[in-house]
Amino acid sequence: MPLAEREALAGLITSLIVTALFVWRLLGQHDAGLFDGPDALQVWSRSVLILIGWSLGIAIVVHVAFAILHSILTGEKPGGRRDERDRDIDRRALTGAWYLLSFGLLAVIISLAFGDTAFNAMNMVLALCILSEAFRDAAKLVLYRRSA
Amino acid sequence: MARIENRIRRLRFDAGEMTQKDLADRAGVTRQTILAIENGKYSPTLELAFRISHVFGVGLDEVFTFHDD
Repeated sequence: MPLAEREALAGLITSLIVTALFVWRLLGQHDAGLFDGPDALQVWSRSVLILIGWSLGIAIVVHVAFAILHSILTGEKPGGRRDERDRDIDRRALTGAWYLLSFGLLAVIISLAFGDTAFNAMNMVLALCILSEAFRDAAKLVLYRRSA
Repeated sequence: MARIENRIRRLRFDAGEMTQKDLADRAGVTRQTILAIENGKYSPTLELAFRISHVFGVGLDEVFTFHDD
Protein backbone atom coordinates (compact mmCIF):
# COMPACT_ATOMS: atom_id res chain seq x y z
CA MET A 1 0.00 0.00 0.00
CA PRO A 2 1.58 3.32 -1.01
CA LEU A 3 2.27 6.03 1.55
CA ALA A 4 -0.57 8.34 0.51
CA GLU A 5 -3.13 5.53 0.60
CA ARG A 6 -1.89 4.45 4.06
CA GLU A 7 -2.22 8.03 5.26
CA ALA A 8 -5.78 8.20 3.93
CA LEU A 9 -6.70 4.99 5.77
CA ALA A 10 -5.04 6.24 8.95
CA GLY A 11 -6.90 9.54 8.52
CA LEU A 12 -10.22 7.75 8.17
CA ILE A 13 -9.62 5.68 11.29
CA THR A 14 -8.59 8.84 13.13
CA SER A 15 -11.84 10.52 12.04
CA LEU A 16 -13.88 7.61 13.40
CA ILE A 17 -12.07 7.70 16.75
CA VAL A 18 -12.33 11.48 16.96
CA THR A 19 -16.05 11.38 16.12
CA ALA A 20 -16.66 8.83 18.87
CA LEU A 21 -14.64 10.97 21.28
CA PHE A 22 -16.49 14.16 20.42
CA VAL A 23 -19.91 12.51 20.65
CA TRP A 24 -19.09 10.81 23.96
CA ARG A 25 -17.64 13.92 25.56
CA LEU A 26 -20.14 16.50 24.33
CA LEU A 27 -23.17 14.28 24.93
CA GLY A 28 -21.90 13.57 28.43
CA GLN A 29 -21.53 17.28 29.12
CA HIS A 30 -24.95 17.95 27.63
CA ASP A 31 -26.54 15.28 29.85
CA ALA A 32 -24.79 16.84 32.86
CA GLY A 33 -26.47 20.14 32.01
CA LEU A 34 -23.27 22.02 31.27
CA PHE A 35 -24.76 23.51 28.12
CA ASP A 36 -27.98 24.76 29.74
CA GLY A 37 -26.73 28.10 31.02
CA PRO A 38 -26.45 31.44 29.22
CA ASP A 39 -22.77 30.78 28.55
CA ALA A 40 -23.50 27.46 26.80
CA LEU A 41 -21.62 28.39 23.63
CA GLN A 42 -18.57 29.46 25.60
CA VAL A 43 -18.50 26.19 27.56
CA TRP A 44 -19.05 24.25 24.35
CA SER A 45 -16.27 26.12 22.55
CA ARG A 46 -13.79 25.42 25.34
CA SER A 47 -14.70 21.72 25.26
CA VAL A 48 -14.25 21.62 21.50
CA LEU A 49 -10.83 23.31 21.70
CA ILE A 50 -9.68 20.71 24.24
CA LEU A 51 -11.06 17.93 22.05
CA ILE A 52 -9.20 19.34 19.05
CA GLY A 53 -6.01 19.07 21.05
CA TRP A 54 -6.80 15.43 21.90
CA SER A 55 -7.62 14.78 18.25
CA LEU A 56 -4.21 15.98 17.12
CA GLY A 57 -2.59 13.61 19.60
CA ILE A 58 -4.79 10.74 18.43
CA ALA A 59 -3.92 11.50 14.79
CA ILE A 60 -0.20 11.37 15.54
CA VAL A 61 -0.52 8.08 17.43
CA VAL A 62 -2.65 6.45 14.69
CA HIS A 63 -0.35 7.57 11.87
CA VAL A 64 2.79 6.40 13.68
CA ALA A 65 1.15 3.08 14.60
CA PHE A 66 0.15 2.58 10.97
CA ALA A 67 3.65 3.31 9.75
CA ILE A 68 5.18 0.88 12.23
CA LEU A 69 2.61 -1.84 11.49
CA HIS A 70 3.09 -1.45 7.75
CA SER A 71 6.84 -1.63 8.17
CA ILE A 72 6.59 -4.81 10.27
CA LEU A 73 4.11 -6.54 7.95
CA THR A 74 5.80 -5.68 4.65
CA GLY A 75 9.43 -5.29 5.67
CA GLU A 76 9.53 -1.97 3.79
CA LYS A 77 11.24 1.06 5.22
CA PRO A 78 8.86 3.68 6.61
CA GLY A 79 8.18 6.71 4.48
CA GLY A 80 7.67 6.79 0.76
CA ARG A 81 7.25 9.00 -2.19
CA ARG A 82 4.33 11.23 -3.12
CA ASP A 83 3.96 11.78 -6.82
CA GLU A 84 1.66 13.46 -9.33
CA ARG A 85 -1.00 10.77 -9.07
CA ASP A 86 -1.13 11.26 -5.29
CA ARG A 87 -1.50 15.03 -5.78
CA ASP A 88 -4.21 14.47 -8.40
CA ILE A 89 -6.17 12.18 -6.05
CA ASP A 90 -5.63 14.67 -3.18
CA ARG A 91 -7.05 17.47 -5.27
CA ARG A 92 -10.11 15.50 -6.40
CA ALA A 93 -10.88 14.27 -2.89
CA LEU A 94 -10.43 17.77 -1.46
CA THR A 95 -12.79 19.20 -4.08
CA GLY A 96 -15.49 16.73 -3.07
CA ALA A 97 -14.96 17.51 0.62
CA TRP A 98 -15.15 21.21 -0.13
CA TYR A 99 -18.50 20.80 -1.88
CA LEU A 100 -19.81 18.76 1.06
CA LEU A 101 -18.70 21.42 3.53
CA SER A 102 -20.07 24.26 1.41
CA PHE A 103 -23.51 22.77 0.92
CA GLY A 104 -23.59 21.67 4.53
CA LEU A 105 -22.86 25.21 5.71
CA LEU A 106 -25.62 26.47 3.47
CA ALA A 107 -27.97 23.97 5.10
CA VAL A 108 -26.91 25.23 8.54
CA ILE A 109 -27.63 28.82 7.55
CA ILE A 110 -31.03 27.78 6.23
CA SER A 111 -31.78 25.97 9.49
CA LEU A 112 -30.88 29.14 11.41
CA ALA A 113 -33.16 31.16 9.16
CA PHE A 114 -35.97 28.79 10.08
CA GLY A 115 -35.44 29.28 13.79
CA ASP A 116 -32.85 26.74 14.85
CA THR A 117 -30.61 27.75 17.75
CA ALA A 118 -27.02 28.95 17.45
CA PHE A 119 -25.98 26.06 19.71
CA ASN A 120 -27.46 23.49 17.34
CA ALA A 121 -25.93 25.31 14.40
CA MET A 122 -22.43 25.15 15.92
CA ASN A 123 -22.86 21.43 16.57
CA MET A 124 -23.86 20.97 12.94
CA VAL A 125 -20.82 22.95 11.78
CA LEU A 126 -18.58 20.77 13.96
CA ALA A 127 -20.18 17.61 12.57
CA LEU A 128 -19.71 18.94 9.03
CA CYS A 129 -16.01 19.59 9.62
CA ILE A 130 -15.45 16.05 10.88
CA LEU A 131 -17.64 14.58 8.12
CA SER A 132 -15.88 16.43 5.32
CA GLU A 133 -12.49 15.34 6.68
CA ALA A 134 -13.68 11.72 6.76
CA PHE A 135 -15.22 12.10 3.30
CA ARG A 136 -11.92 13.37 1.91
CA ASP A 137 -10.03 10.35 3.26
CA ALA A 138 -12.72 7.90 2.14
CA ALA A 139 -12.77 9.47 -1.33
CA LYS A 140 -9.00 9.09 -1.57
CA LEU A 141 -9.25 5.39 -0.71
CA VAL A 142 -11.94 4.85 -3.35
CA LEU A 143 -9.94 6.76 -5.98
CA TYR A 144 -6.80 4.77 -5.16
CA ARG A 145 -8.63 1.47 -5.47
CA ARG A 146 -10.30 2.48 -8.73
CA SER A 147 -7.05 3.61 -10.31
CA ALA A 148 -4.95 0.67 -9.16
CA MET B 1 -14.30 9.29 -26.01
CA ALA B 2 -10.55 9.82 -26.31
CA ARG B 3 -8.15 7.33 -24.80
CA ILE B 4 -4.42 6.98 -24.48
CA GLU B 5 -2.78 3.59 -24.91
CA ASN B 6 0.77 2.78 -23.96
CA ARG B 7 3.42 0.18 -24.63
CA ILE B 8 5.19 0.52 -21.31
CA ARG B 9 4.91 -3.14 -20.39
CA ARG B 10 6.41 -4.17 -23.74
CA LEU B 11 9.18 -1.58 -23.52
CA ARG B 12 10.04 -2.71 -19.97
CA PHE B 13 10.34 -6.27 -21.16
CA ASP B 14 12.52 -5.21 -24.08
CA ALA B 15 14.71 -3.17 -21.74
CA GLY B 16 16.08 -6.24 -20.02
CA GLU B 17 12.87 -7.06 -18.15
CA MET B 18 12.94 -3.82 -16.22
CA THR B 19 10.64 -3.99 -13.21
CA GLN B 20 7.87 -1.49 -12.54
CA LYS B 21 9.79 -0.42 -9.45
CA ASP B 22 12.92 0.29 -11.51
CA LEU B 23 10.96 2.34 -14.00
CA ALA B 24 9.17 4.16 -11.19
CA ASP B 25 12.44 5.04 -9.47
CA ARG B 26 13.96 6.31 -12.68
CA ALA B 27 10.86 8.30 -13.62
CA GLY B 28 10.50 9.72 -10.10
CA VAL B 29 7.09 8.23 -9.28
CA THR B 30 5.71 5.32 -7.26
CA ARG B 31 5.37 1.79 -8.54
CA GLN B 32 1.60 2.09 -8.13
CA THR B 33 1.54 5.03 -10.54
CA ILE B 34 3.42 3.03 -13.18
CA LEU B 35 0.97 0.16 -12.61
CA ALA B 36 -2.01 2.50 -12.98
CA ILE B 37 -0.57 3.95 -16.21
CA GLU B 38 0.11 0.49 -17.69
CA ASN B 39 -3.45 -0.59 -16.88
CA GLY B 40 -4.88 2.53 -18.45
CA LYS B 41 -6.32 3.68 -15.13
CA TYR B 42 -4.30 6.89 -14.97
CA SER B 43 -3.13 9.31 -17.66
CA PRO B 44 0.28 10.78 -16.84
CA THR B 45 1.08 14.46 -17.15
CA LEU B 46 3.12 15.51 -20.14
CA GLU B 47 6.19 15.84 -17.97
CA LEU B 48 5.89 12.30 -16.65
CA ALA B 49 5.16 10.96 -20.13
CA PHE B 50 8.39 12.57 -21.36
CA ARG B 51 10.34 11.20 -18.39
CA ILE B 52 9.10 7.68 -19.07
CA SER B 53 10.01 8.00 -22.76
CA HIS B 54 13.41 9.30 -21.76
CA VAL B 55 14.00 6.25 -19.53
CA PHE B 56 13.46 3.98 -22.53
CA GLY B 57 15.41 6.29 -24.83
CA VAL B 58 12.58 6.52 -27.34
CA GLY B 59 10.18 9.19 -28.54
CA LEU B 60 6.90 9.98 -26.82
CA ASP B 61 4.84 8.51 -29.65
CA GLU B 62 6.65 5.21 -29.31
CA VAL B 63 5.42 4.91 -25.75
CA PHE B 64 1.96 6.50 -25.92
CA THR B 65 -0.73 6.46 -28.60
CA PHE B 66 -3.75 8.73 -28.66
CA HIS B 67 -7.07 7.43 -29.96
CA ASP B 68 -9.94 9.80 -30.56
CA ASP B 69 -12.92 7.42 -30.78
